[in-house]
Amino acid sequence: MDEPVTPAIEPRSTPLTPRERWLRTLRFQSVDHVPDEEFGYWTETLQVWRDQGIPEGVNSDAAADRFFGFARRQRVPVRMGIHPAFQRQVLEETDRHRIVVDGTGVTLMENKDGSSTIPQFLRFPIDTRQDWIEFRRRLDPADVARYPARWEQQLPAWRQRDFPLGIAVGSLFGWIRDWMGFERATTACIEEPALIEDMMEHITELTLHVLQRALRDLQLDFADFWEDMCFNSGPMISPRLFRRFMVPRYQKITSLLRSHGVDIIYVDCDGDITELVPLWLEAGVNCMFPLEIRAGSRPEQFRATYGRDVLLMGGVDKTALIQGKPAVDRELARIVPLVEQGGYIPHLDHRCPPDVTLDTYLYYLRRKRELLGIPQPEAPATALVREASR
Amino acid sequence: MRGRRRPALRAVMDISSLRTAVVEGDRVEATAATRAGLSAGIPARRLLEEALIPAMATVGDLFRRREYYVPEMLMAARAMKACMEVLRPELVAAKVEPLARVVGATVQGDLHDIGKNLVLMMLEGAGFEIVDVGVDCPPDRIVAAVKEHNARLVCLSALLTTTMPAMRDTIVALEAAGLRQRVGVLVGGAPLNQAYADEIGADGYAPDAASAVDKAKEVLARLAGD
Repeated sequence: MDEPVTPAIEPRSTPLTPRERWLRTLRFQSVDHVPDEEFGYWTETLQVWRDQGIPEGVNSDAAADRFFGFARRQRVPVRMGIHPAFQRQVLEETDRHRIVVDGTGVTLMENKDGSSTIPQFLRFPIDTRQDWIEFRRRLDPADVARYPARWEQQLPAWRQRDFPLGIAVGSLFGWIRDWMGFERATTACIEEPALIEDMMEHITELTLHVLQRALRDLQLDFADFWEDMCFNSGPMISPRLFRRFMVPRYQKITSLLRSHGVDIIYVDCDGDITELVPLWLEAGVNCMFPLEIRAGSRPEQFRATYGRDVLLMGGVDKTALIQGKPAVDRELARIVPLVEQGGYIPHLDHRCPPDVTLDTYLYYLRRKRELLGIPQPEAPATALVREASR
Repeated sequence: MRGRRRPALRAVMDISSLRTAVVEGDRVEATAATRAGLSAGIPARRLLEEALIPAMATVGDLFRRREYYVPEMLMAARAMKACMEVLRPELVAAKVEPLARVVGATVQGDLHDIGKNLVLMMLEGAGFEIVDVGVDCPPDRIVAAVKEHNARLVCLSALLTTTMPAMRDTIVALEAAGLRQRVGVLVGGAPLNQAYADEIGADGYAPDAASAVDKAKEVLARLAGD
């Protein structure tokens, strides 16, 4: 499991900037190596790893990115979602749980000890059309707070950047699901289609309006949607409903992005996305993330089916790291041929869970970097990575 | 005889229209057809066994064939549930027993309940009686529910790799309570697969709500054969 390796991608003589590398990778052009990116961590993972050797201050994804030395990639700080947020309130506490109203107005039960779980949702801010009319005030396209006060001052530095910079363009279905609840949102697609059409249309108009300024002021490198609308058994709504409600609205947004040179548009959707990939491609969303392997979203299958029409990010089974180092080796061997084809940035297929040991994670990083010819970065963790399980 | 149908033909039509209404998720039509069926003298057991259960089996088939997705399944399950509210007093009076009692739970440490709720809805639609013990359920609460309700099947849901071990703990607790021989255990949830179900000694793994019904029947048949 630990023999020397020849990098799968030969290094180029001229170093690329992180921005060039990222764009060239996703445009199937030659690169020195693929970008060194990872998804992130559960909160408990970093807590558990502190006992296993990482320093006290590494307590967030951003801090971990710096600690492990991952490539920098950022989004402009534009508020696309609800504003103002709801005031968080604690309604009730028991020994183990806390019932709260969160920033989106959802009443939910969460674990009091902070351990990660998807909460139990108890009540949602939108049930009726009247609720939606009230709620819509928080989705005002003309709200000046959508852009930061210091936007203009930040532009020169962003224009000189050497890293990829993009914009989050929100969500058509995922937000509505969050605001109405899974059962209500999915059945409303059939029982009250006019309400769903109205909500999605408003979100689309908001997105198109808010995007204008960023696209005018900057040459952005990517845009990303968030949907999380698939189970392990497939999408939450049928492809037929997806096509009716979502494809035309995505097309409006992706056309605007493309008219400003933004040609890498990804969607964040867990679960088995297989049935939705062709519809996202039709809608102008050309990159799939994070490709959950256990759910059946396999990057090699999407590449075989859609060729260079599809771009890929993620697709390394996080549960392989739970199983241990031989499984890590098998998993990395699986993705190397796909990396060689281009258009693919490999990393774990979701946040790294706390049942992965720090030692196995460091081993994964070392082997991934060795196999893919990614140089060890100048970062606090590099000595740990180099020594992992030698 | 215009405007009057023979009773046997009317019964067939009521059963057929009830089945169609449930498959189409039309709650209003389904409850109306249930009431009409009872008024026409069709026994509640017959409406359950010839209309509601076959309707939900059709829904499961449509889901497996990717003609139905979760919203269509949810609407059918809600229609079925509304019909059961109408039928329940009659079924109790006629001493009609469910296929089996099922205890459903999201395991300790986990609060997510969408998957559990979907599975329990589909099982109810298939003629099982459901005892939903909720989320974040410690093994002793599940064991107590099995004893109290004389359940034949336990359905456990987990969404996180960190809470999956609580499924094994629950199976161990059922063994310790001497219940394991007579109660089947079915597991499901995003991070699970058949291999994990085998590893922890569960009787079955269901990747989705529709297949949970088939698995539940399989597990019960196996238990009955043992």
